[in-house]
Amino acid sequence: MTPALMKYLVWPLVKFLVAFVIVQVIVAAMNWVERRLLGLMQARLGPNRVGYKGLLQIIADPIKFILKEDIVPSSAEKVAYFLGPILPLIPAFLVFCLIPYGPPPTFVVTHVNVGLLLILALTSTGVYGIILGGWASNNKYSLMGGLRSAAQMVSYEVPFGLSIVGVLMLCGSFDLVHIVNYQAHNIWNLFPQIIAAFIFFVSMNAENNRTPFDLPEAESELVAGYHTEYSAMKFAFFMLAEYSAMLVNCCLMVSLFLGGWTLSISGYGLTTATLQAMGIWGGILGAVIFIAKVLFFMLVYVWFRATFPRFRFDQLMELGWKWMIPLALANIAVTGLVILAAPQGGGEIALSAAGVIIIAFTLYLLFRPKPKVVAHAG
Amino acid sequence: MQVEYPKAKWTDKFLLLDMFEGLKTTLRELFKPKVTIRYPEERLEPANRFRGMFKFSYDRCIACKLCAVACPIDIIYIDVHDEQREVDGKMKKLKVLDRYDIDVKRCMFCALCEEACPTKPKSIWLTTKTYELATYDRNDLYFNMQQLEYWDDRPRFAGLPEAESEGRIEGGRKQIEGGTQ
Repeated sequence: MTPALMKYLVWPLVKFLVAFVIVQVIVAAMNWVERRLLGLMQARLGPNRVGYKGLLQIIADPIKFILKEDIVPSSAEKVAYFLGPILPLIPAFLVFCLIPYGPPPTFVVTHVNVGLLLILALTSTGVYGIILGGWASNNKYSLMGGLRSAAQMVSYEVPFGLSIVGVLMLCGSFDLVHIVNYQAHNIWNLFPQIIAAFIFFVSMNAENNRTPFDLPEAESELVAGYHTEYSAMKFAFFMLAEYSAMLVNCCLMVSLFLGGWTLSISGYGLTTATLQAMGIWGGILGAVIFIAKVLFFMLVYVWFRATFPRFRFDQLMELGWKWMIPLALANIAVTGLVILAAPQGGGEIALSAAGVIIIAFTLYLLFRPKPKVVAHAG
Repeated sequence: MQVEYPKAKWTDKFLLLDMFEGLKTTLRELFKPKVTIRYPEERLEPANRFRGMFKFSYDRCIACKLCAVACPIDIIYIDVHDEQREVDGKMKKLKVLDRYDIDVKRCMFCALCEEACPTKPKSIWLTTKTYELATYDRNDLYFNMQQLEYWDDRPRFAGLPEAESEGRIEGGRKQIEGGTQ
């Protein structure tokens, strides 16, 4: 084996397989975590019968999916029907070889200097499978779910992309490793780009068809939306693709706004260099920090689902086009102006201060002693 | 009464305070203790006036048939014959119960039979705090006099005969019989 072969084929493959297995375990576990957390937030217990606290549900669910009957509707378009669940799965899995999980070089599968662009390009192809599956099922609910999904994903792709521009302007690179290093030596992008982070998170919810934007599978209107006619493993593939896409977006969120695998402000703390100096254990520590942050955002997904009711379709479009996009554009303009007006990192500090003030003020309003409800006879 | 809520300021609206308030509520709910009763392991004690399985007392019953008359759907079947018996040295004509059956599967648990019963204490009553009446065969829900009187805390766990012989039902029966009251 030549060193080149090892460097460009064997090691990336091994790293990707390890990452893939971890991702699959997290996705399978999310099923249980989500049901359980939703239950607890809705004043019930959730699945607790299989194994300790229902933990074996993680294994029981896949077994159920495999054993169930695989039904193909007689009037379905066979080829497209089979392609439907597979198409969103491929980009959802491919993206995992572009995300850096820890300090390079060990924990980066492939170091692409336009990695962010590639990830965005790949994730946005996931909608094809959903449209195709919805159309091929020959069912009006499926078709409407597919169409809604298309409209929604295309609409929210715009603020999704625009919210990243501010980060790119600050960091000056499409390279996720560079973006993470930049944050480690300055401050988490969450603070200077608080509005962008908010838009990114909301668009990310809409991209993944999660509540409150789960119109493509709105069960009270469309039965189950685009996967109404799918059963057994085909349905499981849709689920797998959805949860994988959620995980990808959480990874992006963490890399772009929360400093990835580092835990440091302006170079103090666990930066990439410190972790690299600690050898393999430093790398593992970085990966653990990264996964912890990602899992936090996965839990926030569930938290959102438990809290917010579903939007109406026109409200969804209005929010996307009339609020998210102008806000993202304004954020780009303000960021650019501040960077130009105050060079040598002054703009960064000003934006961070504004972000910290916004977060602090929101928290104050949220936890202030409530004024008492005044009641008088009338 | 007129209730005045504090007005929402523009800062509250701009910072989406209502949404964060909602998130706060669900988070608080996450840590609250749940009131769910995990049924086979935990059991709820019914209220004192809960109408459950019938209990019948042969000794108290005077065979007046008032309960059968009171029953709105006529599911109480009573057969009686007269007998000459010596009570306190005198010959008396007594009514003797031959049959006292209740078709529980059709019962709606209105407890009118209990109300109609003239004996004190009642010779038919429903306040036994039992609710596990399900059976595998509907014929098991037709109870005769002995079955109505001689079940202990709970009605018998009527299992499928073959399942019972294989010992598959045993665990369930033990749980029910040993369950908390």
